[in-house]
Amino acid sequence: MLKSNKHIFWEALIITIVIFLMGLFLGMMIEAGHSNEINNFYLASEANLIDGMALSQISGGSHISCETIKQKNIDFANKVYEEAKLLEKYESSQKLTENLKIIHKKYDLLRTLAWISNSNSLEQCQNYDLVIYLYEYNSENITKKAIQNVWSKILLDVKEENEDMILIPIASDQDITSLEVLMEKYGVSSFPALVINNQEVIYSLEGSDQIKSLLN
Amino acid sequence: MEFLTILYFTYTFIAFYFLFIYILTYIQNKKHIYEIIKPNKIRSLSIVVPCYNEAESIGKNIEAFLASNYEGLKQLIIVDDCSTDNSYEIIKEYARKYSKVIALQTPKNTGRAAGAKNFGAKYVKTELIGFSDADSIPKKDAISKMVGFFNDEKVGAITSRVFVENPKNFLERIQSIEYKIMAFTRKLLGFLDSIYVTNGPLSIYRKKAYDEVGGFDMKNMTEDIEITWHFVSKGWKVKMSIPARVYSVVPKTVKSWFHQRIRWNVGGIQTVAKYKKKIAQCGMLGYFIIPFFVLSWFIGLTGLFFLTYRISKYLITKYLVTKYSIVAQVAVLELNDFSFSPSILFFFGILLFTLGFAYTFVALGHSKEKGWLIGHSLYDIFIYSFFYLLMYPPLLIISFYKYFRGYNTW
Repeated sequence: MLKSNKHIFWEALIITIVIFLMGLFLGMMIEAGHSNEINNFYLASEANLIDGMALSQISGGSHISCETIKQKNIDFANKVYEEAKLLEKYESSQKLTENLKIIHKKYDLLRTLAWISNSNSLEQCQNYDLVIYLYEYNSENITKKAIQNVWSKILLDVKEENEDMILIPIASDQDITSLEVLMEKYGVSSFPALVINNQEVIYSLEGSDQIKSLLN
Repeated sequence: MEFLTILYFTYTFIAFYFLFIYILTYIQNKKHIYEIIKPNKIRSLSIVVPCYNEAESIGKNIEAFLASNYEGLKQLIIVDDCSTDNSYEIIKEYARKYSKVIALQTPKNTGRAAGAKNFGAKYVKTELIGFSDADSIPKKDAISKMVGFFNDEKVGAITSRVFVENPKNFLERIQSIEYKIMAFTRKLLGFLDSIYVTNGPLSIYRKKAYDEVGGFDMKNMTEDIEITWHFVSKGWKVKMSIPARVYSVVPKTVKSWFHQRIRWNVGGIQTVAKYKKKIAQCGMLGYFIIPFFVLSWFIGLTGLFFLTYRISKYLITKYLVTKYSIVAQVAVLELNDFSFSPSILFFFGILLFTLGFAYTFVALGHSKEKGWLIGHSLYDIFIYSFFYLLMYPPLLIISFYKYFRGYNTW
């Protein structure tokens, strides 16, 4: 009856380690699956962007209408916007690996290229609105995060009401040199900020009407 | 990896480890949980009952012991600690009627149960010495079901199972659940020679072991924890007899419950402080009991930290988002806000909680001498699991504060 049970401490330790390792492995598998899914989206979007950039390069002397360019850019921006939402969702559950952070940076670079590409298109056509939303990705400031959350909602509302509007959210603190140059060019000094049609920079947003009044 | 993630993994690992220790101990010793050992001889026993202002309950306690079917019970020593009510008169009345009952009174109030217990122990000449609280009622076969464990010469102490006497109000019902789970856990720890407390309502010690440790520590707020650690440090085994049932009253009000818990915690801290140098020494005391105690604190405090951090961060963010959303005239809640992608931490949390909840049910299922009886409403179990247990860490923090402020009030 009073037999020794000291072996239980080792058995429990082994079971705990096994459960933990299985959990960590499963977690890494899930996170790798998320990364792969997002990465595939990214590759497709990257191809679309390059196609769009090529289109804007040749549009100057060709028969391609501004309507086609506009539609192409809007479709691309919408697609990337949806992917960004998915990326954000997966990132919130990423605890073991850093893959999605790198993909996030690649997306920000892609969106920076989209900004440059759209700037060229906008100069030629001026048949749509371009809204660049620059926010802080790595901020731990709860107030700033709350403000950015509300700005996102306002922008989504405006976008839903204006079909001819391209919304490109870009994280400003991802150490992307080309983005920094662009921000300097438009005089963006603090975040969050909105650059509307490459003309107006807004640092304080009180509602959707404020943006609508600045759109074409 | 973020610091908080590492902390969460550490917390989860320790919690899983303890839980698996319990689960494995239960699985491997299931057949022995209700085991009663037949004594190989009749050992003489004296029971010492400290009493301070217990006029209402001391009579029932004495009568319960007098009704005991253990023939080795020689003396029932009731020590009045200079009560201000008529406790001593009642005790003397019983002493006149029954030769087994001995009425004693301390020269002056000692201020704590340990004082009266040590005083009464001086009059004990039997092989075994038992202690009970004046407000506790043992079943008549409780002692008989305990003493057989002393067949093993290395066993120095046996403790019983405490049930809440007639739980009526909500707080008593919740404590009734708690006591059942504590008792079940203690029994499991007994299989590992790691029982860390021999309860006040009824515990029996080998007199030789009691004398070796020099009785109860008068400075400790929980002398029953301290003496148990002292036994283990001296190489004595401590066992529990789950079929030995004793009924005791528990705090009926939140105020008295709070006071009791602070005393228990401060006593636990005092004991850890006293035996901290024994870590990794003295067998199970240094290798399991002390680390178990300290890591339990870590788990409780880390859990509280996580909960507070998550909830406060969520509430502050929600408040700010709501405030700014109202100003900006956008929807406060959107479909995206309900989007959720579970992380591995979430799965670990769910698994831990499920295993913990299952453990609660298994423990409650062993509330009866034989067979299964949950005996509590799901509502009470829910409140116990989701709210009552959350009170432990804040109480611990207050207890630490009081300990460092020199709290020493019984």
